[in-house]
Amino acid sequence: MKPTSPRLLALMAAASLGLGLLLPRLIPGLPDAVTGVLLGAAFGLGLAALMYWRLPSPCDTAPAALRRRYTREIAVSMSAYAVAVIVSLLLLKRADLDTPVRALVALLPVPPIALVLRAMVHYIRDVDEMQQRIELEAVSIGTALVCMVYMAGGFLQAAKVIDVPSASAMIWVFPFICAAYGVAKAVVIRRYQ
Amino acid sequence: MKNHLRALRDEHGWSQGELAERLEVSRQTVNALETGKYDPSLPLAFRIARLFGRSIEDVFVPDEP
Repeated sequence: MKPTSPRLLALMAAASLGLGLLLPRLIPGLPDAVTGVLLGAAFGLGLAALMYWRLPSPCDTAPAALRRRYTREIAVSMSAYAVAVIVSLLLLKRADLDTPVRALVALLPVPPIALVLRAMVHYIRDVDEMQQRIELEAVSIGTALVCMVYMAGGFLQAAKVIDVPSASAMIWVFPFICAAYGVAKAVVIRRYQ
Repeated sequence: MKNHLRALRDEHGWSQGELAERLEVSRQTVNALETGKYDPSLPLAFRIARLFGRSIEDVFVPDEP
């Protein structure tokens, strides 16, 4: 089994997909957003499995133990995030919540995301200096690309050419940065091979 | 920046992996250093020079201006 097993990621993707398809049948009235989160997680995990399978160790020079720790921390915090999102959405359906309580419930998914960021920072701190440089270049390029897309989107929205719900736009910033970071890393690493 | 890392490693009969272990970096980093695709930081350059008992100038050759 590789340090970051594509099989494990594929298994998690399949579980997420299964839940996303089954839960709406088992729990009537389940918010669409819950299904969306599960299907989104299935897509993300499936993409990660594909990347780990097709882009093995050359894309990541970190020691095996460090990669295992990173995968474990990400898997735990993302699972906590999925649970927090579902609980939060189910509770927010209740109309009798006061604004402060609604705010607290709405923010339930934020601590798990903070744990994801913590795992990323730990990982970058512990890799060697060349890998740190690769990560820095990749995250800079990924963030710059997402900023550019968001600015373009903002101008289009201001001109009333598109109409994207603001909540969705804000929630998707981090996943887009992660995706762009991953793609940029696969490109940046080629310069050092 | 050019360097004599591969020659020095061969002199000692070390594989890239063994040198990487001694320097506490990855094998890929040693490979990138040897092929000139990555220039080390000053602390790593000192570690490399010290490991081979040489000065930095004996290991690394700066590019012509």
